[in-house]
Amino acid sequence: MTTRSRRTVITGFGVLSPIGSNSAAFWEALRSGTSGVRAIRGFDTSSLSCRIAGEIADFDPKALIEKSYRKSLNAMARMVQLGVVAAQLAVRDAGLTKGAMPPERFGVSFAAVMAESEIDDLGGLSTACSSGPNQPIDMEAWGRAGVPQMPPMWMLKYLPNMPACHVTIMHDAQGPSNSLTTGDLAGVAALGEALRAVQRGAADFMLVGGCESKLNPLTLARMDTFAPFTRAHEYPDRAVRPFDRDASGTCVGEGAAAFGLEELEHAQRRGAKIIGEVVGFASGVDRGLTGLGFARVIRNAMTDAGVQPSDIDHVNAHGVGVHELDRFEARGIAQVFGRDVPVFAPLSRFGNTGAASGILELSCSVLALQHGLVPGTLNHDNPDAGCPIAVHTGTPRPVTKPYVVKVSATDLGQCGAVVVRKWE
Amino acid sequence: MRRRVVITGMGVVTPLGHTVAELFAAQAEGRSAVGPITRFDARALPTTFGAEVKNFDLRRYLKDADRFARSGLNTRFAIGAAKQAIENAGLLDASRGDRSRIGVYLGVGEGQDNFPALINSAAAAVTTGADRADPARFVTALLPVLDPRAEVEVEMHTTVGHLANLFALDGPNASCLTACAAGSQAIGEAVELIRAGDADAMAAGGSQSMLHPLGVAGFTRLGALSHRNDSPQTASRPFDLTRDGFVIGEGAGVVILEELEHAKVRGATIYAELTGYGSTADAYRMTDPHPSGKGAIRCIANALADARLNATDIGYINAHGTSTQANDAMETAAIKSVFGEHARTLPVSSSKSTLGHLIAAAGVVELVTAVMAIRAGVLPPTINYEMPDPACDLDYIPNAAREVSVDHVLSNSFGFGGQNVALTVSRFRE
Repeated sequence: MTTRSRRTVITGFGVLSPIGSNSAAFWEALRSGTSGVRAIRGFDTSSLSCRIAGEIADFDPKALIEKSYRKSLNAMARMVQLGVVAAQLAVRDAGLTKGAMPPERFGVSFAAVMAESEIDDLGGLSTACSSGPNQPIDMEAWGRAGVPQMPPMWMLKYLPNMPACHVTIMHDAQGPSNSLTTGDLAGVAALGEALRAVQRGAADFMLVGGCESKLNPLTLARMDTFAPFTRAHEYPDRAVRPFDRDASGTCVGEGAAAFGLEELEHAQRRGAKIIGEVVGFASGVDRGLTGLGFARVIRNAMTDAGVQPSDIDHVNAHGVGVHELDRFEARGIAQVFGRDVPVFAPLSRFGNTGAASGILELSCSVLALQHGLVPGTLNHDNPDAGCPIAVHTGTPRPVTKPYVVKVSATDLGQCGAVVVRKWE
Repeated sequence: MRRRVVITGMGVVTPLGHTVAELFAAQAEGRSAVGPITRFDARALPTTFGAEVKNFDLRRYLKDADRFARSGLNTRFAIGAAKQAIENAGLLDASRGDRSRIGVYLGVGEGQDNFPALINSAAAAVTTGADRADPARFVTALLPVLDPRAEVEVEMHTTVGHLANLFALDGPNASCLTACAAGSQAIGEAVELIRAGDADAMAAGGSQSMLHPLGVAGFTRLGALSHRNDSPQTASRPFDLTRDGFVIGEGAGVVILEELEHAKVRGATIYAELTGYGSTADAYRMTDPHPSGKGAIRCIANALADARLNATDIGYINAHGTSTQANDAMETAAIKSVFGEHARTLPVSSSKSTLGHLIAAAGVVELVTAVMAIRAGVLPPTINYEMPDPACDLDYIPNAAREVSVDHVLSNSFGFGGQNVALTVSRFRE
């Protein structure tokens, strides 16, 4: 269709996850099979069906964020803080100092959601206008006494464009800028968009990230009403079981990951270290979750990349541990690869991180290509007959081929795929 | 040769009308859609008015509209606008053509939180003597009063997911929320998907309603809204010296963007060509635009360059024009910087003067306005323009529409957080 003459490489990586908050620790945990899913700390969750999660226990944004930006942390929900810090780690890893490139050639593409209000931001103002459970709100009191207690920056603390906003300010990134919000697909979509921006010449460096924290009490309560959560609370690290016969549901997580995507010659000119190349992207919708549409999207991404199934070392799947969704995903993968290509699903290690999941999960495979080893999928013990794919489990296996396909999907059939090549 | 992208369908759900024809007629007349908020009791708020979508009935668009009874207005409005646009483009029949080549991209807000449940549960979580709300009490109070069917619809991927499933749009699917620039950004990125060959057609635009207690309160606390409670219809007064903030609106718009040859083969009606897209970031502040408009300037320049247009080719600017002090002065400065001498005679108007600010839907509804301006040869006015501001000294088409034939229009959208988008739309010529 069009010539993709500009090549796009990964030159920076930053991660904050329940299993490690720097690249080395994250890889070590992946390699050794450590799980970050534990009982939710902080409050009594016994009224919830969701009582376990992938939580980042030691996240200290004050210690991590650039000093000059520390005062802005108060205006950021935890999701935003995670995104901003992961982006900062990726920019640093890319060796990109301020002023090193023209700011208008530096863009941002971030996956996020509308974060939900912290209850401390609502507690005081709600007592001013609540007349008790199931009672209508006293709107006169809400306006007169409630609203004035709302923190002035309340709305901006939670908006999905705030990670990108802060990232542009911190790093003087004045190029193309977008914030994608398509749930579990958002990360892959953000990466695809950034890839196209570099390919068409709209930017030379794109900071691509994803962030979400679903551990907020309001989020947990809301999701508890509809999300297919596991009740296997006694064994948190074994609870989420991708493509497994005994899958019992999923759990939430929090995290952020970011890549620096850079035009190849631009990276080479400044002597940047290259850790992978993004070579293909596609997205689409599989109505009815048949797997046929998902397979079409995977094939489109591979056509875009100019690769065959036989070139693929492994497929990086979303694998949320819910039968209906895993079977949908497996049908899509099986249509293209059968059982010939191993499937690796990292989510069982840290829960579903939503808008962060696309980039965070893909990063596991980027590190795998770099280290020459693919970690095994945790908690896949007995294959589900509805999932006719070859899930890689157990000890890490050596990388034997140069390409990885990352796939992601939502419960409404929105799906996407990106293809990444090992840098040699 | 780059793939050309044309507009072959349009649909809107707005405070000024539920069809493109109704909308444009009201805009050309200079009719205001602003009035007291009726959606909830807002009488004790610092701002008591807005631009509401009235008499919206999803059953006009869908047989099984009840399925979406618990969806947010963001989704309901989007379905109404998308149905019109897809029907208008002749793409409703899913048995024709390759549906995997038609996608969806919207700038869209989230579904609405259950306000009474949230407030009552937060109040229950505050115990006397404690300095923090107790999360366990909050969750225990909230759980039994939430409706799962409504909560699942709050999730941000659902709107574009529903559109794909309802209208058999199996191609690329995405949503973004770059504040007030989101609708335009979705259109720009959808154009790039078509140019790159990822799709042949895209249903693109935006949808949002923040006319709920938390939304209005949030904007109030930011000091962004007009307080002209005694005269709502004159409150949105872009570029006027006495402007005091924007007027919150709601709605949706969807346009069908289509690769030119694809449109021709189908014999589709071509309304206009989407010629240019620019996206930049101010990289300045969370709330304020850069005072000299550095991001806006580059964004407009990028859109013109993308369209291969000279500044003098532009015959009309549909401004972002929010009616805030900061935006309107900055936007004026940016226009003068890009257009130089041409800015002195270049007509500029703000659709927000009549419609209010449709947030994520603003960009697409304003683009539809631009397309209609080209087709009708009528430029809609900026109403409530009474006292010139020395910092805003352009031709704002004050108070009355103007008959002028234009071939190329620029539409600006600038979001909170400094994300800027500019689009150019052009009369279609072979």
